[in-house]
Amino acid sequence: MSRPFRYVGRSLERVEDPQLLRGRCRYLDDVRLPGMMHVAFVRSVYGHARLLRVDADATQDLPGVALVVTGADLGDAPELVTGSSRPEAGQWSRPLLARDRVRYVGEPLAAVVASSRYTAEDACELVEVDYDPLPAVVDAERALEPESVLLHEQHGSNDFAHIAFESGDVEGAFDSAAHVFTKRFHFGRTHAAPLEGRGGIADWSDELVVWSSTQMPFLVRSMLAGLYGLPETRVRVLVPTVGGGFGLKVHLYVEEAVLPFLSRLAGAPVKWAEDRYEHLAASGHSKEVICELELATAEEGRFLAMRGRLVGDGGAHQGHPWTSLIDPLCAAAMLPGIYDLDAVRYEVHAAATNKCPTTAYRGVGWTSGHAVREALIDDAARELGIDPLELRLRNCLPDGEPVVSATGCRYDGGSYAASIRRARELVGYDELRERQRRLREEGRYLGVGFSPFVEQGGWAAEIAADQGFAGSGYLDAVSVAVEPDGSVTLATGLQSNGQGHETTLAQLAADGLGVRPGNVRVVQGDTATTAYSTGSWGSRTAIVAGGAVLRATDDLRQKLLRIAAHELEASEADLQIEDGVISVSGSPDRALSVADVAAAAYSGRAPSDVDPALTATRSYDPPATYSNACIACVVEVDVETGCVGVERLVAVEDCGRVINPLLVDGQVSGAVAQGVGAVLYEGLPYADGGQFLAGSLGEFLYPTAPELPDVEVEHLETPSPVTEGGFKGMGEGGLIGAPAAVVNAVADALAPFGVRIDRTPLRPCDVLALIDAARAPAAS
Amino acid sequence: MPVRVLLDGRERSGQAEPRLLLSDFLRHELGSTAVHVACEQGGCGACAVLLDGRLTLSCLVLAVQADGGAIDTADGMTTNGELHPIQQAFRAKHGLQCGFCTPGMLLAARTLLDTNPQPTDEEIREHLSGNVCRCTGYTGIVAAVREAARLVAEERR
Repeated sequence: MSRPFRYVGRSLERVEDPQLLRGRCRYLDDVRLPGMMHVAFVRSVYGHARLLRVDADATQDLPGVALVVTGADLGDAPELVTGSSRPEAGQWSRPLLARDRVRYVGEPLAAVVASSRYTAEDACELVEVDYDPLPAVVDAERALEPESVLLHEQHGSNDFAHIAFESGDVEGAFDSAAHVFTKRFHFGRTHAAPLEGRGGIADWSDELVVWSSTQMPFLVRSMLAGLYGLPETRVRVLVPTVGGGFGLKVHLYVEEAVLPFLSRLAGAPVKWAEDRYEHLAASGHSKEVICELELATAEEGRFLAMRGRLVGDGGAHQGHPWTSLIDPLCAAAMLPGIYDLDAVRYEVHAAATNKCPTTAYRGVGWTSGHAVREALIDDAARELGIDPLELRLRNCLPDGEPVVSATGCRYDGGSYAASIRRARELVGYDELRERQRRLREEGRYLGVGFSPFVEQGGWAAEIAADQGFAGSGYLDAVSVAVEPDGSVTLATGLQSNGQGHETTLAQLAADGLGVRPGNVRVVQGDTATTAYSTGSWGSRTAIVAGGAVLRATDDLRQKLLRIAAHELEASEADLQIEDGVISVSGSPDRALSVADVAAAAYSGRAPSDVDPALTATRSYDPPATYSNACIACVVEVDVETGCVGVERLVAVEDCGRVINPLLVDGQVSGAVAQGVGAVLYEGLPYADGGQFLAGSLGEFLYPTAPELPDVEVEHLETPSPVTEGGFKGMGEGGLIGAPAAVVNAVADALAPFGVRIDRTPLRPCDVLALIDAARAPAAS
Repeated sequence: MPVRVLLDGRERSGQAEPRLLLSDFLRHELGSTAVHVACEQGGCGACAVLLDGRLTLSCLVLAVQADGGAIDTADGMTTNGELHPIQQAFRAKHGLQCGFCTPGMLLAARTLLDTNPQPTDEEIREHLSGNVCRCTGYTGIVAAVREAARLVAEERR
């Protein structure tokens, strides 16, 4: 559907900002209810142990403690059962509090309800827990060995899922290859770590009302209704302002799921707002995948085929409801990236380990799979003596036209080569190489890395199938109403967690109807008043809302025109709507405002063949769409200290039609910074016994302003030929692409030492270890 | 025990047991939503306020230590509902997304521009090093502080 866009494409300032800038918005922990009590959890101090005794007797004398619930006290309370549309993933259940065994440090094993969080934490200290420690396994590959200790004995294996895939003549390609390049890469654990942690409030008296800091209010409602056997009409989920999500808040965690149970038992609303230790140790970790990748090429470097074995480190339990496959399977499905390959084979495992369960983080497994492929391509370029950009340009898919990748992903056209060429220009590639050469003579090590990629967008049935999750389906709707005064309400279960939906969805509705964005009010965060949606995640909101809003506003626009035609005694075909005024083409004096037409509808003056209800609810299940980008990173590595200084970050980004360039730039910049953080600063180490070693911001280092340069963003625009409006998704791309750019830049800087990078993170200690390891063979 | 403070220019008082953090006192006793708590370890800057004019992490101060003090938050930066030039600049340059770090970030920016009205980019980044933002990658924030310096200078002219 082609249409003129007047507000879509403009960098409008955000509607939500004035309240946020005054600190007047209410986040989860700002919500207070009469009689509300507070929850704290007793958490495992062992990575793996049998629970022999959990004794809360000592809490009885503490004033303010209402109740303590242990795993044993849960009785026949429901368990979370996690499965997938992939039958290989099976069905794995988990009690809401650990019953007889704990499997990671931080696992909740008892809950205290008290008059304040301070008192609840005091009581947690008084709960006595006897553990019988078990051997812990913290390495995903070791967990899959037959002699490994089992986490879930009833399943007989630590493999959450094993999936194999082959397309094309892989053996033939490898047999006939002139070169085969191989790489083993361990992409380290990352943490979405939004500044606002998880939290929830449950008030279960007559009906169950839940306040949740989530990206998906309706799925939380559906899951809680299912868990507790309630009709969905008896569960209402409210979402206050969300202080960042990045995928971490597209799950239902046990701590959230147990809150209704605690509320019913306490006879009061209960709130849990986690602290930073809980968040770091026990919310969700992400992206850890050990990948072995082989690339077969012809003599001149043309890519023929890839073979990959990807072992995801799923942690102790599958993230609910998406399973542990979201890292390794997504990594595998996108192994071809932007490249033209004849054949691909992959094998995927998701291993249970004695670590925090893994959950989604912006870009899920696309980040790790992309990092290993792009690092391997740089290795291959060095071995072949071909410039890494030249090697990529020789092998990338053609720009512009839709094409199906070797793993069956239906790319809808992009600017793969153009984005590489533009990024090369923007960093001043030739000058940079010259400067690199000069600095090396001074003992300074400059490096540049490039990372071109495609990014799935608009997660829905078709793209889920592309990514290995065939059989998954989603319903996403918006409701639009023209009110009696002509103002417009747009109500949706899509959920902003900082992206600015109140602005961008209003831009879409304004253009769909022909009104000003300021006349559109976006309502979200309440399952009782909005239209069903599976929520905002997977770079989907712009696409899903794009389609649903444009469809709903089309319906309303036609209705407005029919009523206006009646009022103006004109033909509908001669009418136009612009900025809230409906006029007859060529006779601007014959005009009505949308408010006039709404007044006519609401006061019974609509023609008899038009239903005057000015509301429309429409959904959109978009076809597969893929944006693309090329990220470039320039670093200087101090080989004495191992510190990596980031000099430049450039992103040439193509997400099709842009709704709001200012906000897209913000998404790219933020995601790229997260990519730098994941590679250079943030680590989530575990000791061999399962102890977690990054439980505070003293160990988990967010990048702060001095560590980063401005992220330079430039746009190319290849509108999708298949989605309504031509929108593609872009929320995750920066974090899919930036880690590979940083890894390749560091590898490029350290090339004189013969360093091959095989892991993240690359903290100073890691960089020094890589340099030492590269020097060691020469010394011996 | 009773604690009295001047919060954004208004006399307020509440009860605080000795261990109560100033951040929790402001949020839960006085109902301020312009003080955010993200780490309670002094590691993120979300809870920053001005205590007697000094940028202070309210999660590292006990409420009783602030008794009799003057506390300014981002909410107090507005005048008759009009955004302060620094707030306007954050909006114009998309220096915020989820808004959780924003009140602390605004106060940090304000203390910078109070003492150094024309900071370089490096000085801006260094001054904001105690405030974590997970959303923006700081590009919009640095641009906002640059723009705020221009607006504040214009206002003084």
